[in-house]
Amino acid sequence: MLVLTRKVDEKVRIGDNIVVTVVQLEKGSVKLGFEAPHHVAVHRNEVYEKIRNENVRSAGGAPDDIEDAARIWQQRKDGE
Amino acid sequence: MELKTVQFGTIDVTDDRIVTMPAGMPGFPDQKHFIVLELPRTRPFLWYQSVDDPGLAFSIIRPWLFVQDYSVDTSAVINEMGWDKSEESSLEVYVIVNAAGKSAEEITANLMGPLLINPTRRQAAQFIIHNGSYSHEHPVFRRN
Repeated sequence: MLVLTRKVDEKVRIGDNIVVTVVQLEKGSVKLGFEAPHHVAVHRNEVYEKIRNENVRSAGGAPDDIEDAARIWQQRKDGE
Repeated sequence: MELKTVQFGTIDVTDDRIVTMPAGMPGFPDQKHFIVLELPRTRPFLWYQSVDDPGLAFSIIRPWLFVQDYSVDTSAVINEMGWDKSEESSLEVYVIVNAAGKSAEEITANLMGPLLINPTRRQAAQFIIHNGSYSHEHPVFRRN
């Protein structure tokens, strides 16, 4: 892993068009600003992983399970 | 065109319904092309079928059917994707349903990572809501 030392307002450039700026430092946390092209998604890693894991889990569902759920949906709607 | 799928067999689809995901989907970076399929027997649940991988399909649903006050900052999505402001009102919003390893009553939906489809551009994106207001495992059915 490449480790660089930067001060507040200093930047790091990744490739041609991604720029990370150190915006603020405060009690053990750092605020970063990102400039990146639209197709580059920037996320907090833990949130991204949550979404990724949920996507992978969701891909394992079969139409039969959803058919059961659709039946329950209809029953509940009829019961309202 | 004819689209081969594992779950639904071979289906005839119109090419103009195929959407491209420029940023891919977390966990599936190589799957760039999808199509929304409606199956009468699973209504109101729809399917987000990969065009690139016949075996990959996600069950999806419109969030307002079970979370009436659901909200997505569509202007942020427009901005993030480089879409045009005029396309905002035509965006279709879905959430992905997780039914794997659960009974039908216990299925959940990922309200934190909605799927947004821009029919004008035939593009789609999974948007991540960072403000902590939604769960990635929200129950679809209220507990009785």
